[in-house]
Amino acid sequence: MKKLLILAIVLRLMVAGFLFHPDIKTFNFQASFLKKGVFNIYSYLTDNKSSLSLKEEYVYFPLAYFTLGVHQIIASPILGSGFDKWLGNADSGTVTLNPNIFKYLLVLKLPYLILDIAVAFILLKFFDDKEKGKKAFTIWLFNPFTIFIIYAFGNIDIFPVFITLISFLLIKKERLLLAAATLGIAAGFKLYPLLFVPFLVLVGKNIREKILLGGIPFLIFGTISLPFLSQAFIQSTLVSGLTTRIFNPGFNVGFGESIIIGLMLFSALFFNALLIDKKPNLLNYWIVLLLIIFSFSHFHIAWLLWIAPFAVILCVKKSQLSLSIFLLALASVLIPLFYQDRSMSISLYRIYSTWFDLLPTPFIAIQKFFDPYNLQSILHSVFAGGAGIITYMIFKKSEEDKNFKKK
Amino acid sequence: MKKIIWFTVLTVLGIVFVAPAILSAALPMIPAGVQPGYNPNMRLSIYSDRVFVQKFTSKINNLTAIGLSIRNPNLKNQSDVIFNIYNLDGTLLRGITISGRNLEDGSFIKLVFPPIADSLNKEYLFSLSTPGAGAEETIEVFLTSMPGESGIIDYSYDGETHSGGTPIVLYGKPESKLATITSVYTSWLSKLLLHR
Repeated sequence: MKKLLILAIVLRLMVAGFLFHPDIKTFNFQASFLKKGVFNIYSYLTDNKSSLSLKEEYVYFPLAYFTLGVHQIIASPILGSGFDKWLGNADSGTVTLNPNIFKYLLVLKLPYLILDIAVAFILLKFFDDKEKGKKAFTIWLFNPFTIFIIYAFGNIDIFPVFITLISFLLIKKERLLLAAATLGIAAGFKLYPLLFVPFLVLVGKNIREKILLGGIPFLIFGTISLPFLSQAFIQSTLVSGLTTRIFNPGFNVGFGESIIIGLMLFSALFFNALLIDKKPNLLNYWIVLLLIIFSFSHFHIAWLLWIAPFAVILCVKKSQLSLSIFLLALASVLIPLFYQDRSMSISLYRIYSTWFDLLPTPFIAIQKFFDPYNLQSILHSVFAGGAGIITYMIFKKSEEDKNFKKK
Repeated sequence: MKKIIWFTVLTVLGIVFVAPAILSAALPMIPAGVQPGYNPNMRLSIYSDRVFVQKFTSKINNLTAIGLSIRNPNLKNQSDVIFNIYNLDGTLLRGITISGRNLEDGSFIKLVFPPIADSLNKEYLFSLSTPGAGAEETIEVFLTSMPGESGIIDYSYDGETHSGGTPIVLYGKPESKLATITSVYTSWLSKLLLHR
């Protein structure tokens, strides 16, 4: 096991040090203001936009800012004096030419490595059956998808993923109120864990517990966010990414109204849990909820990490689904690589050579003989179809499990 | 489980070591350097008989493209833009005609032509003209005061010659795919070794 762990870490360090997505530089540039004493990054960036070299908004929630900022403070002796200059360099042509880039990337991605390995150990403990735990541990450490998503793209999603997994561990141990609290903390990094709250409420034993399960996550999220509440905060966080993409209208029903497919299925899932399932298996509902999001929204590749540990649990619990889950993972990782955005594909390799800027993106290369948007749609449709059947299998098997228990 | 471990190890090694080699092999040309910086307010207008001629030293073998920034103010130029490369004795080596319709305002464009063999360290001239354009349909090139390693020597415009010129990037066709791959990995490794 020790050897496996070392091998897993070496693989991760290689991807972390050699592949570069510019987002990690941008949000770490913003987080670097913590060491200069900036508390409210949202209003600071808005107020000082004209004088800053990178003018993007800070799109994550406050805990991400403080975690990354504190990490930079702790790591500053290793990062050295040129680090802040590198972070603030707006010239994309020279950013990857800095010979210290390997060190910077390894240090910036170090918290991801710690949490990534921690997720493996949580999965190891998640199962009562030790063999199943070992299987989950190995699948988590040795699947190229999570390594690629976490270390090539370098987004912060591993933080809420780790905390959400802890929340599920607490649910398994029937410590529901603590699980609700951890969901609120996870939302302090990214909003998506709050989507799970309606399902958590359903397992409350009485009205009081249900109210607490519904209220605690929002209370904690509110406590984290309240000091920053401003137009800049709302604009940067709530009006970006997830909310606008998930609630993207589907089809028009006339007079300006439309049915939002993702939300419609979310609602159907909730009412299924409320009216039909009564005692829902929360893990299954969480997986299906995320499958709905990925099936019906233009997702960022980093979002795929949200489902990854739960997909591993599903692979171990229902090994007959492993191949299908692998194929869906492949399709879902390929979709964003065909986006027009260079940084999703070729530009990841700019550390090796800036000459790669001369190469067309997969989008442009495919355009010569096929419509790349059509290819993305094909892959997305394949994913959505497969996700539908996985959903069916998850719930079908749950029924069988129930019948088995009754017998 | 062994299969999944092997699969992941090979995939990661492929992503980290093989993919850059494939990308290198796919490079149709390689640049001789980066575009020098320039002052966006220093420009020359090209139209009618106002021709811009740049003298430069090729810093790369098999010269196959020249990249430069061209303005097409308000996208008014819809005429042919003629780009020619000459030997110093005035022999026309390569010529390209593009439509002004394809020129975005201020964008960096690469003018690609069949490779010129043995071009390394030889001096050439290129001219840029748009004879069909009037004074209201000009295109503009920028001037740089920091030519760096770009190879530019001097430029001629409106009967006068001055040192320097427009910030260009020269591109050469790779000698071989293997040479390009070696070059990419060498520069990557040297950066890795420089790492402090």
